Amino acid sequence: MGMTRLAFLNFKSGFKNYLSLVLSLAFTVLVFLNFQNMLGSDAYKVLGTRNKEYIDILVGTASFVLGCFMVFFIWYSTNVFLARRKKEIGVYVFMGLSNQKIGKLYLIETMMTGLSALTLGLVLGMMTSGLFQMILGAVSRLTVSIRLRPSLKPVLITSAVYLAIYGVFAWKGYWNIVRSSVLGMISAAKQNEYVRQKGIWLFTKAVFGAGILGNGYFMALKRDGNVMGNAFLSVALVTAGVYLLFGGMVPLCFQTLAGRKGFLYKGTRILWVNNVIFRMRKNYRTYAIVSILMLCSVTALAMSFAMKGRYENIIRFENTYTFQLMSSRDDLDHRARTLIEEESEIALSSRIPVLCVDGSLVKAAENYSRYGFVSYSFLRRLAEDTGMELTFDEPEEDEVFKISHPYLMSLAAERPDVRIFINKKEYGQTGDTSTPYLGYLQESMSFYVMNDREYGRLRPLGEELYTYNYRIRDLSRFVRARDRLDELVSDTKDNYTGRVAIDPESNELDWVRMLYSICIFMFLVFIVAGGSILFMKLYNDAFEEQERRQILRKMGVDGKTLGRAAAMELAVAYGLPFGVMAVSSIFSVGALAKAMSMKLTGVNVVSVAVVLGILALWYGLSWWAYGRSGGA
Amino acid sequence: MNESYAGRKMQKDQSCKEKECKGNPPVVQIKNLIKNYGSKGFQSRVLKGIDLTVLKNDFIAIMGPSGSGKTTLLNILSTIDKPTQGTVTLDGRDITRMSNRELSKLRRDKIGFIFQDYNLLDTMNLEDNIALPLSLGGVEGKECVRRARELAALFGLEEHLKKYPYQLSGGQKQRGATCRALVTEPEILFADEPSGALDSKAGRELLECFRKVNEERQATILMVTHDPFCASYARDVYMLSDGRIMCRISRGADRKEFYDRIIDVQTSMGGDFSWE
Repeated sequence: MGMTRLAFLNFKSGFKNYLSLVLSLAFTVLVFLNFQNMLGSDAYKVLGTRNKEYIDILVGTASFVLGCFMVFFIWYSTNVFLARRKKEIGVYVFMGLSNQKIGKLYLIETMMTGLSALTLGLVLGMMTSGLFQMILGAVSRLTVSIRLRPSLKPVLITSAVYLAIYGVFAWKGYWNIVRSSVLGMISAAKQNEYVRQKGIWLFTKAVFGAGILGNGYFMALKRDGNVMGNAFLSVALVTAGVYLLFGGMVPLCFQTLAGRKGFLYKGTRILWVNNVIFRMRKNYRTYAIVSILMLCSVTALAMSFAMKGRYENIIRFENTYTFQLMSSRDDLDHRARTLIEEESEIALSSRIPVLCVDGSLVKAAENYSRYGFVSYSFLRRLAEDTGMELTFDEPEEDEVFKISHPYLMSLAAERPDVRIFINKKEYGQTGDTSTPYLGYLQESMSFYVMNDREYGRLRPLGEELYTYNYRIRDLSRFVRARDRLDELVSDTKDNYTGRVAIDPESNELDWVRMLYSICIFMFLVFIVAGGSILFMKLYNDAFEEQERRQILRKMGVDGKTLGRAAAMELAVAYGLPFGVMAVSSIFSVGALAKAMSMKLTGVNVVSVAVVLGILALWYGLSWWAYGRSGGA
Repeated sequence: MNESYAGRKMQKDQSCKEKECKGNPPVVQIKNLIKNYGSKGFQSRVLKGIDLTVLKNDFIAIMGPSGSGKTTLLNILSTIDKPTQGTVTLDGRDITRMSNRELSKLRRDKIGFIFQDYNLLDTMNLEDNIALPLSLGGVEGKECVRRARELAALFGLEEHLKKYPYQLSGGQKQRGATCRALVTEPEILFADEPSGALDSKAGRELLECFRKVNEERQATILMVTHDPFCASYARDVYMLSDGRIMCRISRGADRKEFYDRIIDVQTSMGGDFSWE
């Protein structure tokens, strides 16, 4: 019999065993294909021309993350496959097959598995791409024209990338077998012989793990120094810490529990606690990987929620006023109103004088060519007119309060004591707000609120301009109203009047919508990946469990008891990574909250709850598979 | 097979009839046990009407050539298989009419098993393996520990309680499996080729343990074996051939003489007595 035929027969007879691997790889293909489809969709092409710079950054980042994920996932799956196959095909050594031939057999089988996965992934990907785009479009409220006809380019790119990565790892497996000693291949079947790990070693790992993890959490929330560097360091520390947690702290706790017989000898605990300890040594990396993937998933989802909130917030902020006039004249309100009201009723209006000082006289954290100063009393009147809340008291004579605008995200370090200098006098900044008192103007200029007396003292330093702000009720009249207001625009020596118009139909910020749709995509990728890795592992464990189940049944242990023990074991397998993820998410989402200057506690809770719901489905699937394969 | 010699030997050993009660209550009563395998029209009868009573504190070995039906008999007695006809009464109840749930409970509470390949769970240490049936049966933790350690001491395993099966020798594993089987104080202990995977020294040590628990703790033991040396530790040996009990040989004071008699009967019966 030729090697190809033997490999085919092996593949056919063991297909049930390889199913989890095929499905996992097919999922990777599906994800990548959907991403390629998303990039190729017309809606994003339209966006691409308007926000090309942002879109390129987003797509580049997402492709990198997805590429890393693909490499990692394929590496992991092929490693699991190699370990299992080495055990099974190792016996061919006794039949006189050389390592090269066994390696070749493995390579052919691996390629069959890989190609089956690719085919399945492409078919499923093409079937679901329309649905996928529809969901993302609905979530991000982008007008996506969905093409149900699959296009060739994404299929070709996906196949090429997948085959390249998969080929490398398949070849690596072949090489591993070729270089294996006979003893190594035979002893692969005896991997389960080590159960309990040395307490002192576990304790050391636990202590180091706790320290590293704690540092990682601390770095995540640290906002001074190099914030970007802190973020990267935090990712590295949390990843290492989670590995050590599962490699040290968790087995140590379970081994301690198993030592307490009063605890252990209660119902099915003796079965599942011992099983958890038994598996921990070879499963801890899986738990750690799944925790990290789930953490990525929950952070991506939180980011998506936060981005959506922030996007809506920015849009609301920018659209506080439809038109804003800034003029050296203080008598424009009546005329402006008349012109606007010819087209639409005014829904909101305000006006306030602003002292504009040249940038050369001001030294502040951000450099602007001009700075605006507002008197506290005038601002209070504006707040009363518009119904906006004034959340701070009048600053002292050496204090200012900043009026800024909402940022999408900021990685700038936090400075607790911000000082600014105006004409060499030092002022302490007591706080900042992004309440849109001055609307869109706050985005183009740096404004500070100051004490009335101090405002009067500084008046000779600059020029006092008057701002007139209006929001129209009938937005369909925007263009006509804008054209009318243009009559007032002037740039003469005694009359400077500028006009700002905020187009309610503007799609300048649509790239942010794409950002949060990509975040949701990443969330799905990570959660399904995490779930499927765990599922794959538990599915393998269930096969190993068959023999033990037979022994227990012979001893008179009924199916219900075995089922209860399996349910607890699965709950631990899913619960531990979930718990670690939930705790870590407080810090990862906390870091996000700091970067976005917003409270994300609710978002954190909702994201974790969503992950819990999806994990519950994975748990159910594992439970079903466990029962079918004889584990329960 | 030398049937005439075998027949004479059977008369001499007063076998092939149900033994009389010796004052001890019966634990297992088998009546007209028949087991067929195969589908209708192609059936083969493996057990052809077995009658046997096991009394409290009995130590019985069942021997027979390959295909004589001894494993089938043990499987039915240990409730793993069902008979075609006949009754098996254990603890006053006919186990052939019990539901699966009742059988599980019976296996857990009334029967102890010792398998040829030990069947200790590799996921837990010896102490947990021994305490497992008690823990699953709802016995309080301290009591589980006390009983497991007491039995381990009896079987010379107290120093090995924290070890995992892979750290134990074959003999230690089988003695551990015996402790696990005895820890619930079952009505009867079934052993399937208990020394089959052990070297002669470990096998002897195990059988000494069997004798000890039978004599000192009044345990009732029924074992299936192909090995006359192993069978010579029992008090009664039943020879099974072609689905029937051919004879019973009872031990006297001397085990060596008992062993010779088993060999004689085995020789007279012929057939393949090698390990199945």
